[in-house]
Parts: sequence; C-alpha cells; structure tokens
Amino acid sequence: MKTRDDDLEALSALMDGETQELELRRLLGSIDTDPALRERWRRQQMISDIMSKRPLTHPDMDVSGRVSDALSAKSSVSRNPIWSVAVAASVTLAVVMGGQQLLLPTGTPSAPFAVSEVGGAVVPIGGAQPVQASLDAQPLQISSQRSVLDNRRSAEAAATYERLATDRYRKLSVRHSAESASAHPSPFIPQARVAEFIDEASSEE
Amino acid sequence: MTGSDTDQQLVQRAQRGELRAFDLLVLKYQGRIAALVSRYISDPGEVEDVTQEAFIKAYKALPKFRGDSAFYTWLYRIAANAAKNYLVARGRRPTGEASVEDIESFEHSGLVSEVSTPEAVVMGEELAAVVESALEELPDELRAALTLREFEGLSYDDIAEVLGCPVGTVRSRIFRAREAIDSRVREQLEGSLGIR
Repeated sequence: MKTRDDDLEALSALMDGETQELELRRLLGSIDTDPALRERWRRQQMISDIMSKRPLTHPDMDVSGRVSDALSAKSSVSRNPIWSVAVAASVTLAVVMGGQQLLLPTGTPSAPFAVSEVGGAVVPIGGAQPVQASLDAQPLQISSQRSVLDNRRSAEAAATYERLATDRYRKLSVRHSAESASAHPSPFIPQARVAEFIDEASSEE
Repeated sequence: MTGSDTDQQLVQRAQRGELRAFDLLVLKYQGRIAALVSRYISDPGEVEDVTQEAFIKAYKALPKFRGDSAFYTWLYRIAANAAKNYLVARGRRPTGEASVEDIESFEHSGLVSEVSTPEAVVMGEELAAVVESALEELPDELRAALTLREFEGLSYDDIAEVLGCPVGTVRSRIFRAREAIDSRVREQLEGSLGIR
C-alpha cells in the first residue's frame, strides 16, 4: 500500500528525473490532495538552487498560486459547455431581435420614413431619419401611393425575414439540445424539448 | 536520467492540459526566472508581475514547444522577451540584454546582490548557511549519495555503481538526505517568513 513516505520518496526521485510514468501519475494525484507535498517540492527546488550556487534573488517570492489561478480560470471558461450554449443562445437572440428591429418602421407609420432614390428606385432605410442636404432644401416628401407600395414591400420582407429567423432559431435550438444532452454527466437525461413556435405562415395556409 | 528528463515528463503532461504538472515547473523555475527578470527590472513588485506573465505566456505557447531546446532555455527566452516588452510598453528602455549564455553565467556569477533587496540577500545567505550545515551533519552514506547526485550530476545507476549498492538504496539515501536538509530549511523559513 502506498504511504506518504512513498510519495515523498517519489517526489525526491522526480527531482532527479528518476520516476516512471505510472509513479509520476500517482504522485501528481497525491499532490492534488496533499498541499504539503507541493510545498515540499518548492523547498527542494530552493535547496537544489542553493547547492548549485544559483542566486536566490527573491527567496520569498511565489507566483505559482497566481499563475495557477489564472490558468485555471482560463481553462474553466474555455471548457465549460455552458459557455458554448450561452454563445449560441446569444446569436439566436441577436437574430430574432435584429429582425424585429428591422420591422419596427412598418409598425410606426407616423414616424418619417427615410428613403433613398437611386436611379429612380426607392430603397427604404428602416429606422433612419431623413437628413437634409442643405439648409434651404425641403425634406423629401413621399407620395401616398409610393408609401402604400413601400409598406406592402416592407411587410413582404418582414414576413420573409421572420421565416428565416424562425428557421434558424429552430435549427440552433435542436443543436443546443443535442449538445447539451451529450455534454451532460448523465446520458439518460432526455434532450431538452425545443420550444414550440407557431408558424404563422404555415398556419394561415 | 537527469533534471531535464523531469522537465520533459512534466512538459509532456502540461501539453496534455495537466495544470498540476505545469505548476511543478513553475515552482521549479520561478526563482531563476525572477532572477533573470531582475536584470531588466529593479522593482520587486514589477519583477513578480512579469515573472507571472512569463509563465502564463509559456503555458499558452506550450503546444508549440517541440523540445528542440531545453525547456528552461525556451522558458528563459520567453521571460526575457516579457521583461523587454514590459519596459517598452511603459516607455522605458531595457537596461540590459541577456542571452542564454549570459543567463547561465549570471547564475554562477554571484551578482545576486545587484538585483536583490537587502532582505532577500540576507535571507538567501542564511538559507545557504543552513543547507551547508545540514549537509555536513548528514551521515556519510547519505551525504555521499546526495553529493554525487547534486554536485556531480550522476544518475542513480551510476551512483549505485560508485557506491556499490542497489539502485533502490541510492534512491532511499538521497530521499533521506533531502528529508534531513528540508526539515532544517523549513524551520528557517518558518522562523524568518512564517512560511510552512
């Protein structure tokens, strides 16, 4: 049976590169549970430096704790599956919210709707305010006929955009569920059920 | 086997993401890296920060380390660059240049008083005296085994041949010799720093 003296002897042998892989693996496990072994290793290195006449410029300095904390924090962030789910959820939210933002002008007809005329084509710029080119110029007026046309096009674009956003959200949700289930410690936990969305386009048909 | 074999074992494990293995490398080399950084930066607090940064950079760069050079040589280069970059970022000119050869000669040049605080110099001298005294007090067979290892750099197999005893005995003697010295050093550290 392995005793603490065995660990200490293995630690001494590790100083000299005289441990086998299996012994090193056991030793590293022991150090995890016995901080005194770690301190022993530090003192042994200091003694070795002294015996080798290396300068002890900062014998009281120990950055190992700070280094270890920094690396542990980095490691836990990069390996935590919750982060990948959170990032994916953020992307989904951005897609949905972005789509809704683009649709806002059609819901607020009283607000002035900025247009840009390029080669006779009218391009609505959602959410933007008209900008006057000069002090004397009047704001660009939109005819009522053109406004109706714009509103219809805007509504079609909105419907298309919403369909795309919903499709994308569904795909991401299914992927999240699958990855969450596979990353979970218990393989028997069923996949999280994806929230149901009413597909307005299909329900109307 | 040698100390560089130890490094190789620990580096391979650290490359596989074992932070504990890298932690042992930090504990092993932090004193030497701090001494190197002290050649560029005099403020003890800044030396500590740059030393920490050097180890973090080294860990991030570990996947690129192929073992073409010794680990400590590679680590020293990272630390030297970290110190120079630290000074440049603060609009200060690096006061010195240190090649790997310079560093190795510095380690044995006794220039410690130029880069240490007076307290650190005193503490280092006291520890050296304790180690020397503890070594002299060791039984002959323990001192012989440890001396052949530490001063001559012999492997356990070679020491066993020189001393005419099994390798297991060599290993045990070196361990017991270190144990005896460690207990004296621990007392000294607890007395001067309150370190356990």
